[in-house]
Amino acid sequence: MASNRVAQPGFSEPESSNQSMVYEVLHGVTPPQPNFIEQHGSAYDFGELEQALMPKVFHGVGLGADGDRKRNCDAINFAAFLGVRPPTLEIFPSWPVRPQPPPTRANSQSAESTDSGSAQNTGPWKAADARFDQESPISTKGSDHSEHHPQGEMASDPTRAPSSTAPAPNSQFKPLEKKKVTASSSERDGSKQLDAKTLRRLAQNREAARKSRLRKKAYVQQLENSRIKLNQLEQELQRARSQGLFLAGGAGANLSSGAAIFDMEHARWLEEDQRHMSELRAGLHAHLPDGELRVIVDSCLGHYDEIFRLKSVAAKADVFHLYSGIWTTPAERCFLWMGGFRPSDLLKILVPHLEPLTEQQFLGICSLQQSSQQAEEALSQGLDSLQQALADTIAAGSLSQGPDVGNYMGQMAIALGKLANYEGFVRQADNLRQQTLHQLRRILTIRQAARCFLAIGEYYTRLRALSSLWSSRPREIMVPEAHPVATATELQMVQHTENHFTTF
Amino acid sequence: MMQAWGTAACVQQARGGGGDPLERVERLASRSAVVIFSDSSCCMCHAVKSLFCGMGVSPTVYELDEDPRGKEIERALARLLGTPQPLPAVFIGGKLVGPMDRVMASHINGSLVPLLKEAGALWL
Repeated sequence: MASNRVAQPGFSEPESSNQSMVYEVLHGVTPPQPNFIEQHGSAYDFGELEQALMPKVFHGVGLGADGDRKRNCDAINFAAFLGVRPPTLEIFPSWPVRPQPPPTRANSQSAESTDSGSAQNTGPWKAADARFDQESPISTKGSDHSEHHPQGEMASDPTRAPSSTAPAPNSQFKPLEKKKVTASSSERDGSKQLDAKTLRRLAQNREAARKSRLRKKAYVQQLENSRIKLNQLEQELQRARSQGLFLAGGAGANLSSGAAIFDMEHARWLEEDQRHMSELRAGLHAHLPDGELRVIVDSCLGHYDEIFRLKSVAAKADVFHLYSGIWTTPAERCFLWMGGFRPSDLLKILVPHLEPLTEQQFLGICSLQQSSQQAEEALSQGLDSLQQALADTIAAGSLSQGPDVGNYMGQMAIALGKLANYEGFVRQADNLRQQTLHQLRRILTIRQAARCFLAIGEYYTRLRALSSLWSSRPREIMVPEAHPVATATELQMVQHTENHFTTF
Repeated sequence: MMQAWGTAACVQQARGGGGDPLERVERLASRSAVVIFSDSSCCMCHAVKSLFCGMGVSPTVYELDEDPRGKEIERALARLLGTPQPLPAVFIGGKLVGPMDRVMASHINGSLVPLLKEAGALWL
């Protein structure tokens, strides 16, 4: 985009975002992809850009593709607007004066046209040519409206102030009185008058340029304000997102409301869970009597019941959100089974930590393991048959010849019915998980149960910690000086580790 | 795929006299140790059948969608179970165990196996 940047007097070097915003604002387009401007940016030349900008800025005034080389104040204005320094104004033009088409353009010098007066522009507005033809007459207007001044008429227009009464060149900073300078008069006059006229013109040009610069400043100020506002809005959105919606899986704006609600409640549940863990730890450490410990253990179990209740609600709203496991962390997701943990896996992990067990307890745990395994197997087989039936339904009819229009909706209806069965399976799986935890509670003594729930909590805390470490691991792919970056990230990792293990 | 149940389980026609569907249900349920009222296209029914077969039990399965009067039975079961989707409905030893979640829960809490043994569906 650097090639498009023009030195802009009185204006700090714009960032590319500004420039793209200018483009966007002026074209009323949605913010383009990053590479959009890049693609076009390098292809822009000044003429393209000004043509792009002109219709909006000057309110629909048409642009000719190739201006004739008539210099006019608007060209200068435009150039000044874009910050292009007009080439040195030739005071004594060497180009021959020649007849020009009628100058019909808004006199940007008119006081009313500071911002939007150009709505009154009529006639062809030629693309600004960097080479300003000094002979082009400055069209002058009446105070509010543009008039078409055919070349030969200006001098004789009785409504116009005669050019001879135009102020001297040194009054260039007066707000614009309407001066009448016409091509015809400049052409017809002798070279004597040329100087005066030229000087007047120059003054007008300066004035016009000044006005343009002021307009540009105002416009840019507006843009800056909008940009600040946009940033503020984005920040607010960010804040609202992080507070209201825990996008654990990074699903972003694609979350359904049921899913978003569940994610939020799950996050809250996790915080509560930490509280229960500390209570258990404190209770075990303090060697509380069984009665008191039972209360803590039962409240912990009740907390698990709560998550299953939340999951049941979420399954009704958006079963595939649960099923996909996007609400869990990556490491947990490795072990995902039907939208949650696999009970027999958890039991296998827990058994060594429940020692010592009585014979009866051990048998109870073993049969629990076996029955949960059988139940899981049954559910998995049921889900397999569901998948097969779904695939068969979708694949019915010819795949290579496209859908059979007559049967299509019927086929889809059947498939929809089958798809709805996923809710039942996720629900049964959660039921299995809940029953397993309750059965554990029944088999174990209070102290064992307290240690058991503590172990479960710790296990998943570690899995979640693993997930965060994974997400923040150093990636040295494209960073040339990998070492400093790695060090910083390693420090971060150490911090993470500390955070997650302080409670242990 | 569903035909496999014909061999593993005893898929029968719900024959028998007319009468109140609920009576028919009771009559059918007491005929065998383990009775499952099912729908051949229902995948949860497939899961429950799979569960019993995995435990070495041979349940008697009535596929209500293949029965001319299956709709009545299904409606009766819905009333009995208090749910609009009563299938699969499992009876052991003539007694109602319930829909899938109850079967699962009883298996986890260890009450299913004794029930099966008592009904003679399972030997040690």
